[in-house]
Amino acid sequence: MDRGALVLGVVSIVSAVFVFVHGTFQLVQIGAAGLVVALVLGLLAVVAGWLDERALMLGAGAGFLIAAAVQLVLLAGGRSGFLGGNASTFSLWLGLGVGLVAVGLAAVPEATEESLEATN
Amino acid sequence: MIVLAGTDYVAGTDYATRAVPLLPSRVNRAVIAIVRVGVGLLWLQNAGWKTPPDFGRGDPPDGLYLSTTYAVSHQVFGPYAWLVDRLVLPNFAFFGWMVLLVEASLGAFLLIGLATRFWAVVGMAQTVVIMLSILNAPHEWYWAYVLMLLAHMALFATAAGRYGGLDGLLRPSWQGSRSRFARLLVRVS
Repeated sequence: MDRGALVLGVVSIVSAVFVFVHGTFQLVQIGAAGLVVALVLGLLAVVAGWLDERALMLGAGAGFLIAAAVQLVLLAGGRSGFLGGNASTFSLWLGLGVGLVAVGLAAVPEATEESLEATN
Repeated sequence: MIVLAGTDYVAGTDYATRAVPLLPSRVNRAVIAIVRVGVGLLWLQNAGWKTPPDFGRGDPPDGLYLSTTYAVSHQVFGPYAWLVDRLVLPNFAFFGWMVLLVEASLGAFLLIGLATRFWAVVGMAQTVVIMLSILNAPHEWYWAYVLMLLAHMALFATAAGRYGGLDGLLRPSWQGSRSRFARLLVRVS
């Protein structure tokens, strides 16, 4: 199990709650299509973390980065577009994408002789 | 020096034979993680009102453009006001995008705790820029920005991404790598 990917996926799923939150405490703007992105890619990241499957982590991370880039392009046109997000949505998906790619690319560290000695 | 995977223990010199955690208390580590996530959410939420393509440049002005004009109309520091008046406001589309990208990245990276010490420094710099713009603006409480600055200093000093963040998870693999990028990540995490 990879805790990093698992937590990032859970964060994405939890962010779906902001479909229903408006006003002062709306940390991120999630529209209908954004909800699909948050749930599908979030679930993919959770499964990737649960199975410790690096390719799935990279896939979910790439998905978030593409969604972030599309949202940014839509914002450049002066509107939220079909994803229904704003720059906060871009920020969240950028973080989740970069995080999942970083976790997916990370080599699993081998225990060194020194660290084993220190542990014992 | 010995750094244990998944923790933040430092030891192994001639003078220190016992491993000592940088933040020994679990409560302290949790609190620092909460502070980091909170500061990340601050940037993340406030990226939302930076609205391209004009960033509030209109009649009447609002949003980021209006905030930036306070650097001139309610001057804090003369040379900065001059720079904003002569360089930033006439080229506001470019600077608006820079602000959006920097603040969205601050939200993204502080939230996940990746390269946290680097982004804490960026956060300090961006906070100073904001202070130079709006510290004398009406209805602003200057301590809010001082607190922002202090929070980023705390994130830097405690290397906050190592506690509940990706820096803590990934540093062991970066430390085991010989690539220059991995060594850079060790330094900024």
